[in-house]
Amino acid sequence: MSPAPAEAGATRAALRDPVLAPAVLLLWAAVALFVLYPITRLLLLAFWDGGPTLGAVRELVSSWQHRRALWNSLLLAALVGTTGTALGFAFALLAVRANLPRWVGGALDTIILLPLISPPFTAAIALIFALGPKGLISYHIFGIAALNIYGLGGTWLSETLTYFPIAYLTLKGVLANIDPNLEDSGFSLGARRWRVFRTVTVPLAAPGLANSFLLLSAASLADFATPLILGGTRFPVLPTQAFLQITGLYDMRGGAALSFLLLVPALAVFVAQRWWTERRSVVTVTGKAGAATAVKILSPGAVGLLGLVCAMTVLLVLTFYLLIVAASLVRALGADNSLSAAHYAHVFGGGLKAIRDTLVIAAVCMPVGGLFAVVLGFVVARTSFPGRRALEFAAMINYALPGTIVGIGYLVAFNDPPLALTGTAFILVVCYVFRYSLAGTRATTALLAQIDPSIEEASASLGARRDVTFRRVVLPLIRPALLAGMTVLFIRAMTAISATIFLVSLSWSLVTVRILEGITNLELGQASAFSVLVILLVYAAVLLASLVMRRLNAGSLGQAGSLLGG
Amino acid sequence: MSRTLMIVACLLLAAPAWAADPLNVYTAWPESLSQPIFKAYTAKTGVPINFIRLSTGELVARATAEKNNPRADLIWGAPGDGFAAAKAAGIIEPYKSANAEKVPAELKDPEGYYTAVAKNTLIFMSNAKLLKEKGLKPPTSWSDLLDPAYKGQIQTADARTSGTALTRILSVYYAFGKDEDKAFDYQKKLHANVQVYTKSGGGCTIPTAMGQAMVCIAHMPDAMEAKKKGYDTLTTFPREGVAAVIEAVALIKGAKNREAATKFIDWTFTKDMQDLLDKNEVFMLPTLPGGSINPAVQALMKEAKLLPVDLEWVGKNRKRLVDRWINEVIKD
Repeated sequence: MSPAPAEAGATRAALRDPVLAPAVLLLWAAVALFVLYPITRLLLLAFWDGGPTLGAVRELVSSWQHRRALWNSLLLAALVGTTGTALGFAFALLAVRANLPRWVGGALDTIILLPLISPPFTAAIALIFALGPKGLISYHIFGIAALNIYGLGGTWLSETLTYFPIAYLTLKGVLANIDPNLEDSGFSLGARRWRVFRTVTVPLAAPGLANSFLLLSAASLADFATPLILGGTRFPVLPTQAFLQITGLYDMRGGAALSFLLLVPALAVFVAQRWWTERRSVVTVTGKAGAATAVKILSPGAVGLLGLVCAMTVLLVLTFYLLIVAASLVRALGADNSLSAAHYAHVFGGGLKAIRDTLVIAAVCMPVGGLFAVVLGFVVARTSFPGRRALEFAAMINYALPGTIVGIGYLVAFNDPPLALTGTAFILVVCYVFRYSLAGTRATTALLAQIDPSIEEASASLGARRDVTFRRVVLPLIRPALLAGMTVLFIRAMTAISATIFLVSLSWSLVTVRILEGITNLELGQASAFSVLVILLVYAAVLLASLVMRRLNAGSLGQAGSLLGG
Repeated sequence: MSRTLMIVACLLLAAPAWAADPLNVYTAWPESLSQPIFKAYTAKTGVPINFIRLSTGELVARATAEKNNPRADLIWGAPGDGFAAAKAAGIIEPYKSANAEKVPAELKDPEGYYTAVAKNTLIFMSNAKLLKEKGLKPPTSWSDLLDPAYKGQIQTADARTSGTALTRILSVYYAFGKDEDKAFDYQKKLHANVQVYTKSGGGCTIPTAMGQAMVCIAHMPDAMEAKKKGYDTLTTFPREGVAAVIEAVALIKGAKNREAATKFIDWTFTKDMQDLLDKNEVFMLPTLPGGSINPAVQALMKEAKLLPVDLEWVGKNRKRLVDRWINEVIKD
C-alpha cells in the first residue's frame, strides 16, 4: 500500500496528463455506450413498469423450474470446475513431468485445442451420436443400448470435455514454472513420490488449480449451447431458462430478470478469480529451471495411469470430430453413407456470403478489439486514474452476461435513431469487441506485471510524452498480449452465436448462424461441413499466431489458448 | 484511438449494398422450403426478397425489440401461435387481402391481423428397422404410445420452444373431446416414455431416423423431409385425430415497404403460389380452396383425421397451456 498523499499526487498528475485523460475518457465513453447503456435498457425492462417493480422477480422465485435452474447452474459449474481441472491437471502432469517425446506433446496440444475452437452445438451433437442411445461408442462398441445422456450427466461430460483444455493450458504453464529441483530436494530428504507430490508439487500448483477451477466454472455458468441440447427438461440451467423465457414464452421481462439472477454468481466467480490471480506471487522467470537429472516425480505406474486416462480422453475427442468430418463427407449419415461433395459444394456456393461476411467482421474486430484491450489493460495496470477499477469491471459485464441477453440488449438499445445500428456490420463488430476483449486485457495486465515500470519511467524522464512512451516502449513490450487478444477475438468471431443470432441482418450473416440453421433444418451434413471449415480456419489462425509469438519470443500456443476461457 | 478506428470501420461497412427496393421478410420456415417460394416471386415481379430464418420465439422477440423502427416488412411462414403473440405485442397490423376472401374463416384472424398460408399437422414417424427388431407395429393411436415397449424410445418437442409441441398439446386436447384434465393426464403418462424433448419441432426426426429413438412426434413437413433424404422411416397418424394448425402471414406494423408487402400477401393467396406448396413438396396443405395437393400427400391425408382448432381460444390460452405443461407434465 502506497501512502495516501503520494496516491493523491499521482491521481492529480494523471488528471492533468494531456494524453492519458482523453484516452480514459474515450474508454469510459465507449464502455458507457456499448456496455452500460444496453444493460440499463434491459434493467428498466425487467424492473421498471411505470415505477420500480419486483413483479418479474417474484414470479421467477415462485417457479420451481427457475429455482431448480439456479441450483443446477451452480452445481454444474462446481462439477465442471472440479472434473475439468482434474483432467487438465492429468494432461499437464503428463506433458510437463513425464519426459514425453516432443512430438507427443505437440500432438496433444493440437488435439486438445479442438473442443475449445469448435463452433457451438457441434460438440454436443457429436456427443449424442457417439455416446447417445445407439451411439457409435456406447452401443456399437460397448453394446449399451439404453444409455440416457440427456440431463446432468451428459451436460457435465460434454462441458468437461469442452472446457478441460483451458485447465490444461493454464496448469501446463504453472507446472512448467515449478522448478523440478524443488521436488528433487524432497527426494534427497528421503520422501517418497506420493509425499513429495502431496507436499511440494500440489501446494506449489494450488493457485493455478484454483484459478483453473474458477475459469472453468465461469465458462460453465455462461454456456448455453451444451445444456440447450443435452440438458433436456430434467436439467434446466439459467442461461437456457432465460433463452426459453424470451423465445418460448414470449416473455422478455422474465428473461431479462433471469439473466440478472445469473449475473450474481457469474460476477462472484470473476471477482474470486481476479483475487486469486492477483495474490499469487508473480513468478519471475530468471532463467531456465535447471533440472540436471530427469524429472522423477511420476513413477512408471503413475505415468501409465495418467497416460491411459489421457489417451481415452483424446480418443473420445477424436471420435467426436471424426464423426463430424464423416457427416460432412457422406450424403446423409446413417441413411446413405456414400461419399459426396454436395455439402462442401453448398458451403462454397450458397454459404460463401456468410463466410465472407464472417471473415470481414473478424478482420475488423481484431485490430479494433486488440487495441481497445491493450489500452484498457495499460490504463488499469499502469496508471492511477480514479475509477480505473470500475472501468475494468464495467468492461467485463458483457462477457459475464449470457449472450442472449447481450443480444437482446443491443437490439433494444440500438434499433432507434440516432443510434440505429441494427442491420449493419458495425453492431456485430461492437458486440464482439466489447464481449471478447477481456482476454487481451488480462494478457496485457499479466504481462505488464512482469515488466518493471522503470523502463517507462526512463522513457518519460528522457522527455517522451505518454503516447510516445506507449507507442515506442509499452506497445512493443506487450505485443504478445495484443496478438493473443486478437487471436481470441478472431476465434470468437468465427464461433460465437448466442448474442449475434439477434444481430445478424438481411445484409450481414455469419457462419455460425448457418451452422445453427443446418442443425435446426436437419441438414447435419451442411452444418458439419461448415463446422469443419470453421475449425480449419481457426487452426490456421492459431498456428499463425503461435508462429509469430515464437518470433516474439513470448511463450507458445498455450498462452493464446489459456486466455480463451478468461 | 480505438474509437476513431471503429467509426471508420462503421462508415466502411455500413454502406448500403442494395440498389432496388427489396422486401424484407422474417420466416420460421427452413430455407429449403421458403427460399424457392421467394425466388418464384422475384422471378415473377422482379422484387428482390431478403429473408432471415429465425425460430418463432426469436422472431417475435426480435420484431418486438425493433417495434419503434421495424427492420422487416412481413412475417411469412410461422406457426399461428406466434402470430397470436405478435398481435398481443402490437407488432403486426391488420391487412385483409381481397384474394384471401375464399380462405375459410377458421383459418384467419377475425380482425385480419394474420391469415393462414398453409395448413400443417402432426404425424408419428417411426424407425422401421427398430420396430421390426422389437416386432412392433407403427403406432396408430395416441394410446399406442403409452405402451411400455416405447419406454425411453419417444422423442418429441419441448413446449417452451416449439410450435410442434403446442400442436401436440392441442391435438391431444381435441382428440380427447376438449377435456383438458384428461389431455394433461395423457401427456403425463406419455412423459414416462419420452427420451428427450427437443428444442425444435424437427429436432427429433434425424435422431429417430438414425436409430436413437423408435418414434418421433413431429410436424408432417419435418417427418417427410427425413424420408426424402432416404432414411428408412414409417409415417402414421393416430386414429383419434390430429390438430390442424396453421402457418400464417402478417404485415409488420409500420413496415417501410408496406405496399410491396401487401402485394406479396396478395400473391400468397393466388393459385400460383398455393400450388407451389405442392410442386415444391412442402408437405403442407393449401389454404385456398382448389389448390393442388400432390398424390403422396393425398394418400397420406386419407388416413388423417384433422381436428379443427379454435384460433382465438389458442391465442388466449397458449401461455396457460404451456405453463401447465411445465408445472404438471415435466415436473418430476
